[in-house]
Order: sequence, then structure tokens, then C-alpha cells
Amino acid sequence: MASVSQRIDARTQELAFPRHRGRNILLTLGGLLALVIILWFLEGLGSSKLNQALALFAIWGVATVSLNLVNGTLGILSLGHHGFMLIGGYTTGLLILSETARDRILSSGRSSMNETTLGLSLSRGLDLIGLDALTTPETLWIRFVIAVLVGGVVAAIAGLIVGIPSLRLRGDYLAIVTFGFGEIIRLSASTRIFAPLTNGALGLPGIPSEFGKSVWWTFGFLAITVFIISKLKYSSYGRAMEGIREDEIAAEAMGVNLAYHKVLGFAISAFFAGIAGGLWVSWLGGVRLDFFLFTLTFFFLVALSAGGTGSITGVLLGTALVVFVRQYGDPLEETYALATWLIIAGVTLLLAAAATYLYRTFQRQRPRMHPAVYGLGIVGLIAVLVGWLAPNLGILDGTFRGFGMRAIFLSVLLIVIMIFRPEGIVGRREFNWGALFGERPDQPTDEERKQDAWLSNAQLNRPGGAAAAEAVAEVQAEVPGKPLLETGDEPVEAEDK
Amino acid sequence: MLEIENLSKSFGGLKAMNDVSLNVGKGEIVSVIGPNGAGKTTLFNLITGVYQPSAGDVRFEGQSIVGKKPSQIVNLGVARTFQNLRLFTNLTVLENVLIPQHYKLHSTWLSSVFRTPGYRKKEREMREYAIDKLAFFGPRLMSFRLHQPVYVLSYANRRRTEMARAMATGAKLLLLDEPSAGMNPKETREITQIIRRMRDEGGYTILLVEHKMNLVGEISDRVVVLDYGEKIAEGSYKEVVNDPKVIEAYLGKKAEGEEETEIQKAAKMDGRSSE
Repeated sequence: MASVSQRIDARTQELAFPRHRGRNILLTLGGLLALVIILWFLEGLGSSKLNQALALFAIWGVATVSLNLVNGTLGILSLGHHGFMLIGGYTTGLLILSETARDRILSSGRSSMNETTLGLSLSRGLDLIGLDALTTPETLWIRFVIAVLVGGVVAAIAGLIVGIPSLRLRGDYLAIVTFGFGEIIRLSASTRIFAPLTNGALGLPGIPSEFGKSVWWTFGFLAITVFIISKLKYSSYGRAMEGIREDEIAAEAMGVNLAYHKVLGFAISAFFAGIAGGLWVSWLGGVRLDFFLFTLTFFFLVALSAGGTGSITGVLLGTALVVFVRQYGDPLEETYALATWLIIAGVTLLLAAAATYLYRTFQRQRPRMHPAVYGLGIVGLIAVLVGWLAPNLGILDGTFRGFGMRAIFLSVLLIVIMIFRPEGIVGRREFNWGALFGERPDQPTDEERKQDAWLSNAQLNRPGGAAAAEAVAEVQAEVPGKPLLETGDEPVEAEDK
Repeated sequence: MLEIENLSKSFGGLKAMNDVSLNVGKGEIVSVIGPNGAGKTTLFNLITGVYQPSAGDVRFEGQSIVGKKPSQIVNLGVARTFQNLRLFTNLTVLENVLIPQHYKLHSTWLSSVFRTPGYRKKEREMREYAIDKLAFFGPRLMSFRLHQPVYVLSYANRRRTEMARAMATGAKLLLLDEPSAGMNPKETREITQIIRRMRDEGGYTILLVEHKMNLVGEISDRVVVLDYGEKIAEGSYKEVVNDPKVIEAYLGKKAEGEEETEIQKAAKMDGRSSE
């Protein structure tokens, strides 16, 4: 074997192993510090709306990053994430229910819960083992952390129960089963059987929201989630899961235990979904069934596809986009004059025309002034003009309320992303520090370009590619009288020169 | 090392494999040849557990491997390449060669998340082993190629990656399904050398399916000929290519005492084999 090992050159030895570990850890810590400073600054601005948006980003970030483990890394389309969030949410809710919240449930005449039903007995039982000691403002956070973690564990167990039988299926069938399970979880929570635990349609009110609305708690959980899931992705387990995504048959033929890795990924994902559910109910300040509709999973899927399925960086970017539209899209849903709406539509069309023109220029597509550019531009211009002149002309004097405009805006945005970048904004790429330092481990060095005659074909065509001609001459010397490539003409031409 | 006994496989009424027996000894290079549809790839699928045989037995190092899952069979030491490339296309060359070593990683997912010293040592060993296997192909898959995703590689380099991936499982027996498909004569010569070196330097036993007769003739210790799921000849390359049954299977025969039928004439004009 020694003879084989000798052929491994220095660069291979270097590239085959993770490099600059110390530097990257320092940079990551520095990045975290910068994030803390930015958060501290943003929190200091004192806008509760901004704080809520940031906290929501972190909470949904936990959910999308965990959903990405299944949808992106394992390559399984799972549509049941809201079900696991529901389990985590209700578990957290039950564990954190305070004495006053219990009294409120009991005093409400319509509750499905009373002193003897399971949920409240459970809650009281927990008080007996010491959780009631953790209700003072100073110690409540301990109870919250316990509640959220237990919520995650219960969701993970549910993930195992759902995953073990269903993960034998593939593709669309599996997607339907996960969707079905998500809905089964939600609908069974609303039935009489589970009402003693969930309090039916009334839900559990009075969940302390100081944690879910705090950027520190939510970003703390997000940081832990990103840490664990990205470390998992870059470990041998993550590679095996990506192998399953790429080709199940090949992965199995290479010794990867399909069932084990799928169930493992599914359960880890469900665990973090449960945690996200716990944070989500805290953000909302209560648990109700309609907080866990399928639209929740739909929002996450939009975030995944917009940012780039498979990339944690991209998924967080997509989540930021979705949360921004959700939290700051209010102006879209207000009442404006019809003329104003027309101007807005016209400006959008003009922007689309400009974007198309720039895209075609950037992609070197000709003609740049495609009919689409003319069409969008002209229609947009007319709309703006009509909208502008309408008050003078005495037409269009009604008003219109943009009800649901936020969802429409998000859908249009998604369509645009899917047309121009079907793989999402960042695609499968991940953020890495090395790229900032110009490290390109997948590119040959100049030395290697010179040595490898096949790679230097491009250089051969260039006048004065002296280095390449040398390389060709060297190879020619080894095999006298034989053209370098059986099919290529270029090397022969280069020799003539 | 590998003993196949009276192996049969039917798909409905079609007998894809009929009573085939075959032995491969340690350190041998055995080629399986035969016209299209002869059952060569079916044989590989039966050995590696993709299909379950209808009858017969496959033993590897004395242990029956019939009924085991493909992933278990790899762990025992039988790895394969695929006729129409099944690489992990969006992953890099290095990742492709690391995945087959995953089953040898004896640490839990938690210790791999927290990068315990035990896991790190194992990961380092896996990477060393990976480049050791890639080194069989000289500089072609080295250096910057390690980090290129498979979809940017040339067809020949993909074939090489797949062979390196099979070697990286740590298998003792490699089943190579048309290793030289899609390669030009120069590359075929190179791959011939590499298969020989895999046996001599790597100590692998090799069972291969191949259509290029010069490659088969050059490296095979023994050649097995299949036709319509049956073994029609076995022996050295010279013996096999002169066997009238083999010639008949590839070229068809002239009906005795009669003129050629229209079908046979047409088949000859097409340059295809017929009955």
C-alpha cells in the first residue's frame, strides 16, 4: 500500500482534512458577539413591534431549521410539522399552567376541564413534585425551560411513533402520510377524548409570554438549534442522510441503514419542532387549536423554498423574509383610494420591467429589450398615468381594502423566486468563513492548471499560452507520435505554433 | 470466497436466472460476459441483495447471504458499482467516498454532534482511508477534485469515483458493473491497469461485467458466459471465445442444411446477434 500512499500530494493531504479550525471557531464566536450587540441595540430602540418580529423570526427559525433537516438534508417532503409543534405547545402549556390560570379555566363555565380531569390533575401533580416552587418571577424561567424541553421530548416521541411505520414509503406517498398525521394530531386534540388535556376549543389561556417575546430567550434557543443541526449536517450522520437524499438505492448499497437514519432525522426534527411549539405558545400568550393550522407548515415551506432547501443559511434568510412580510405587511391590508392602488400596481409593473431588463443584461441574454420588458413597462406606465390623472378626470373615486394582500404579496414573491432562482436565494450553498478569505478548495491552483493538460485546453486556445504548450510538449514526449487527445484538434494546433 | 449454487430468479413467467453456479476464489478476477439481457446485472442484483433469489444459495466466505438487506451485505464485505452510475450527484467526491465508511463509525449521533475525541479520531481515519482509495486513480481525483461536486466531473471521472466509493466500503469482493462503459480507448487501457492494481496492491477479489473484450481478455483469470439466464461456458478467455456455444450466443448460428432465414439475414445486416 505504501506505493499508493506516496501518490498523495501535499495539497490533497491538506484539503482532505478540515482546516483552520481555530480561526473558524474564533470567527464564529466573534459573529455571535456581533449578533448580541446588534440585538442589544435593536432591543434598546424600545419598539415592541420590532422585538416581537425578532422573537418571531427566532421561533420560526427553530421550526424551519428543524423542518429543513427532514426536507432538505434527508430529502423527505414532510408536511406535518405543525402537528409536532402542537404537541410541544400543549405540553409546554400544561407544564407551565399557573394556579391563577387554572382557576380561570375552572371558573369558566364552558371548560371541558375540571378538578378531576387529567390535564389539571397532571398540572397539580407537577406542583406537588416541586414545580410550584418555580412560579416566582425569579424562578419561572427554570420552569419554562423544563416545560419547553419536555415539550420537545414528547414531540420527538410522537415523531418516532409517526416515523417508524410511515418512513418506509417514498416521495409523494410519504408527503401525504406526514400531512395526514399532522392533521390527525390537530383534529384529535380537538376531540372529546383529548379535551381533558387540551381543554377543547377554549385552549389553555394565560401562558407567560415574557419568554416567547424576549429576543434573548428565543435567539438563545435558535442558536442552540442551529448549532446542533449544522453540526449534525456536517458529521458522518449528516453525510449519510444526504446520501439518502441523493440516491436511496446507492446509499443502501453503500451500507447506510435507511430506516434508522430516516427515523433518527425525523425524531430530531420533531424534537426541535416541539421546542418551537413551546416558544410559539409563549409568544402568543396562550394555547389554542387554531394556532397550529396547516398554514403554519405552509409558511415554513415558503421560507424553505424561498431561501434554498437544504441550506441552513438560506432557510434562515427565507424565514426572515416571511416573518418580515407577516409582521410588517400591515400597510398592504389597509384601505386606499382605487387610484392609489392603480399607481401601486403600475409601479410594481415598472419595477418588474426594470428587473427583467437587468436580469437579461446580467445573464447576457439578447435582446435585452425583450417584448416582456416593453409590455410590462408600457402597461405599468399607463397604470401610473391613469392613477395619477384619475382624480382630475373624475374616475375611480372609490376605495378598496387590501384584505389578504399580504398573502398575495408573499405568493407573488415566491413565484418570482421560483422563476428566476428555482433552487432558492442561496440554493444549497452554506455560509462558510473560508469563502470570505477567498479559499476555493474546489479550484485548481495555477501550478495544477499547468500540469493537467486536459484542464489547460482552454489556455491552448489562447494566443501565447506558453505554459500550456510546454505542458503539451511534456505529455507528447511521454507518448511519442500520438496526439494528446484522440478527439481534440486543439493540442495539435498548439504544437504547430 | 464467493460461492453461488444453483441460483434461479424468475420475474413472473420470465426466468431471468436459471440454475447458475459459480465460484470466485480469493484474489481472482472473474469476468461475466454475455449478450444484452443475458442476466449479468441480475446476477449482481441477486448477490448484493437487491433481488431475492427464487431458488439457490449465495455464500460469501462460507456464510449464506441470501435474505440479507443490501446494507448488511456491504458490511460483510461485498460492494458493487452500478451500470448506470448511482453516485451522490450533489455531494463532493470526498463526501461520496466518506459515506460508505459511515457504517464503520461506532459512535452515536450525539457524540458526532459534539465532536467527541473518539468521533474526531474516527473521522480523521475515514478521510485518510478515503484519499488512500482515491489515490488508486492517480492525480485524477486528488487535490481540488476532492471538493468538486460529482455533477461537474467528466463521465470517466464519475466511473472512477464510483469505483473508489466501492473500495472505500472496505469490502473484500468488488462487483464492477461495466467499469469501462463510456470511456475512450486510452481511458479503458488506464482502467484495465487500475483493476489489475486493485487486485495486486489492494488485495481485492473482483467479479466484473464487461462488454469490451480486449479488457476482459487482458485481465480475467476466468471468464463466465451467460445467455438467457443460463451459464453456457466457463474457462480462460481463450477457451471461452472459441467455444461454439458462445459464438452462437453472440453471432447466431446457421441452420444446418438450410439457407439462412430472412430474420437471420436481417439480423446480420443490423450487426446484431440473433438466435
